[in-house]
Amino acid sequence: MSLSLLVSTRRVASARLPLSGVKSLTYSFPWTRSYAAVQQSSTDGSNNALKISRDKQKRVTVKPLTSRKTYLVDSYKSLMESNPLVVFVHYNNLLKREDHLFREKIKETGGTMTKLRNRLFQVYLKNSKQEDPCRPLSSKDKYKDHPLLPLFKGPTAAIAYSETTPANIAKLFKLLASAQDKLFILGAKVDNEAYSLQQLNTFKTLPSKDQLHAQLVSMLQVQGGLGLTQTLQQASQSLYLTLQSHHDNNNKPSQ
Amino acid sequence: MITKYFTKVLVRFNPFGAEAKTARLMLAAIPPHQRTLGTKIQSEILNNSITKKPLVKITFKDKTDMEFDPSNTSFEEASNLLDRHSRKLRIKETIENQ
Repeated sequence: MSLSLLVSTRRVASARLPLSGVKSLTYSFPWTRSYAAVQQSSTDGSNNALKISRDKQKRVTVKPLTSRKTYLVDSYKSLMESNPLVVFVHYNNLLKREDHLFREKIKETGGTMTKLRNRLFQVYLKNSKQEDPCRPLSSKDKYKDHPLLPLFKGPTAAIAYSETTPANIAKLFKLLASAQDKLFILGAKVDNEAYSLQQLNTFKTLPSKDQLHAQLVSMLQVQGGLGLTQTLQQASQSLYLTLQSHHDNNNKPSQ
Repeated sequence: MITKYFTKVLVRFNPFGAEAKTARLMLAAIPPHQRTLGTKIQSEILNNSITKKPLVKITFKDKTDMEFDPSNTSFEEASNLLDRHSRKLRIKETIENQ
């Protein structure tokens, strides 16, 4: 018994070995302070060391660097920038099981729901043009008339999709129709544009991006079969002909 | 806000408009178990193209209707207005129960 335990602990230890190796290679963020690098630069005086110390400048944020608020604003930035399609919904006092149910069903449509903290999301939107949304900014540099700003009053959640597929949105509409007033759509962000519910309704009927690409390619191929060069030339040719006729008309009275 | 005596709640608003805050807070103020008790809650979303006016309409147990425009009423004002009637109903209820 004790032997088998010993063996198992050994196994665990051997399994942990690569992990411990990773641990020693901790990733250093560009904004963390590093006194070692500064010291090196003063003693070495080499260009390389100076560069490192400049790279590792401290990140300046309004709230403390390790605070929840800074973390959330950063997470909202990644949410909005890594997902081309984000739908904003209003949720009404969901019970725990309703919340789980909706989250699961939304996952089936290909999205993930995140409940938002309105003030912090507004901070992100106002600073969305900056590289670092947590940096202190003067009020004139803030993007105060972001089209999505009025949506963050009352309980709001975001449903993020990593692809702009209208079929997914159609599924989401179907799902939320059963939810009635517990969960309903307010607006959306589609490829850096703010959409109202009405626009989203027309968007969901569109074919997907891939289908549209295929349509365009097939159309061009058909045209190519009949003479793609001719169709491409047509515009410049007609311009040449009209200019030529004008030229001829101008020359006529002088002759 | 006392929501116990509501039997029907209709909220109509444009989420991008100024009325959104009051309207959405009204919806959020109604506890989840009230749906199971039979209160009907309806929400309608307006667009810029629809010319209907934003509205909050509440029907009480004694069938009195109260409605107001959420674009020029704050949530506090609205809840004070509604509570005034709810308190009357509460007093009536306690007297009847005695």
